[in-house]
Amino acid sequence: MKSYLLKRLLYSLLTLWLVSLFIFAIARILPGDPVQGVLMASHMGIADNNLIEGLRAKFGIDQPLPIQYLVWVKNFIIGDFGVSIASGEKVFEMFMKRLPVTLELFMGSAIWSMLIGFSCGIISAVRRNSFLDHLLTVGAVLGLSIPVFWEGIVLIYLLSVMTHILPPSGYVPFTESITGNLLAMAMPTFIMGTQGAGLIARYVRSSLLSVLGQDFIRTAYAKGLSERQVLIRHALKPAMIPVTTVAGLTFGYVTAGSFIVEYMFAIPGLGRMGVNAIFANDFPVIQATLFIVAINILAVNFLVDVLYGYLDPRVKVRS
Amino acid sequence: MKNRIFIVGLIIILGFLAIAAIAPQIVPCDPEAQDLYHVLEGPSRQHLLGTDDVGRDLLSRVIMGTRPTLFIGVTATFLSSVIGVLMGLIAGYKGGFIDMFIMRLTDTFMCMPVLIVVLALVAVLGPGIKSVIMAITFINWTSFARIVRGEVLFARELPYVEAARAMGASGLRIIFFHLLPNVTAPVIVTASIAISGNIMLESAVSFLGLGAQPPTSTWGNELRIGYSYLEIAPLFSLVPGALITLSVLAFNFIGDGLRDTFDPRLSNTLLNKNVKKSEVK
Repeated sequence: MKSYLLKRLLYSLLTLWLVSLFIFAIARILPGDPVQGVLMASHMGIADNNLIEGLRAKFGIDQPLPIQYLVWVKNFIIGDFGVSIASGEKVFEMFMKRLPVTLELFMGSAIWSMLIGFSCGIISAVRRNSFLDHLLTVGAVLGLSIPVFWEGIVLIYLLSVMTHILPPSGYVPFTESITGNLLAMAMPTFIMGTQGAGLIARYVRSSLLSVLGQDFIRTAYAKGLSERQVLIRHALKPAMIPVTTVAGLTFGYVTAGSFIVEYMFAIPGLGRMGVNAIFANDFPVIQATLFIVAINILAVNFLVDVLYGYLDPRVKVRS
Repeated sequence: MKNRIFIVGLIIILGFLAIAAIAPQIVPCDPEAQDLYHVLEGPSRQHLLGTDDVGRDLLSRVIMGTRPTLFIGVTATFLSSVIGVLMGLIAGYKGGFIDMFIMRLTDTFMCMPVLIVVLALVAVLGPGIKSVIMAITFINWTSFARIVRGEVLFARELPYVEAARAMGASGLRIIFFHLLPNVTAPVIVTASIAISGNIMLESAVSFLGLGAQPPTSTWGNELRIGYSYLEIAPLFSLVPGALITLSVLAFNFIGDGLRDTFDPRLSNTLLNKNVKKSEVK
């Protein structure tokens, strides 16, 4: 087990290195000269060579590419993500300012996913082949298939335009108004959680079904336990083991959803920052966003591996 | 149940394909004809779904939009499956350093935020249908490569491959005549699910304004423009979005059905009604 984890860790680091090369390449081949962009914004496009050279030096793009790469990696490790070309802000500070917002979104959507996914999955498994099961089955596939932006539009139309229950967009900081914050986050988190809910429901159902078919469950019934007791005391725990792998997948969905949802709902989080950076060709911000997301996905996958081996003693992983 | 859902998916997709094939013949109005006196109107007898922001007939535009939307989804999936299958065959059969390299490459692609990478690539290549297809292919081949590699690793130890080798078949011959036919089933299953993901991805890119450029109408484009008029003309964004959802759903249904038919081992789905005792272990 230990050597397996060590190997996984090494692979993850190797992958991380490849990711950094790839991200660096993408950010450098983006079209348009970022310096020209700054000049258009702040100096009406008029500049002498000194100013241009100065700006190029400021962003470090006067150096040869390998040096730029090394400088970027070195700075990234010490927490210096560079300076945004569009706004002149430090990327690290931009990042820290937006992180709590995105974290709240992630947590909210995880709560929705688990709440809906687990309850639907369990009901489906317990009442299998009933009408309710079929309904929830189709519901789960629908949840997985519905594009984030369309779900957003439908919900905004139903809950904001037609009935004015929830605000259509905008973000209220938690410190300003707790109810305002929760109202503003209700729709975006629900939308981001939908795909995860569908996925979890599918896995919980099939996993619980296979557990319910085992001998120890029959024994539990034979002891005279009620269905509820059998579920809670015996079936649920072993059924949850395979579901942990879904956590990694769900994280991917949530990350992808956050870019669109934050953009749609004008939520000042990391996803919106990333999308806007691409529109503005702001390569320090693009690099940082891509890299941070990649690190997170790698970390989640690694944790899932560890957790899986820990939860399920049968997993004696061959290395 | 399972089969019924598969059939439903198939019928929907065949319907979309039929509409795409004869789109120019069945549009009620010219999809490009503007009518600035009748913009953002609700449904009427003349315009069954109303009009868009410059007075074009929405129904006609949505019908025409079937073409690029399906085209991008199918083409991108086809290209990525070709690349992915080749990579997977090589990785699985050759093993060693090449295998290691290709697998780390797939790891790399799989931990990137797909949407942002596709957006960045489209920005590099310039917005348009071709760039969207290339960008999606670039990031999408990895899932095919991984699945094919796994199948090949399993298959190459089987007696029939050994027999072929004993008869003096070359590596290329074994790969293309013996291994390739045996990985088609999982590839088809993966492809049908990948198409739905790619349609969704294309719509997201279009929704953010970097997809097919005007005057081409894709569902994602209609959705983006319609979204700004949600309060005045809700159908303008709701209808194209519903069509995207329907096609994604249909391809997922097909994928689930195919998976159960071709490869019961893979079926870990909710739609699978009969959990076999053997799967418990």
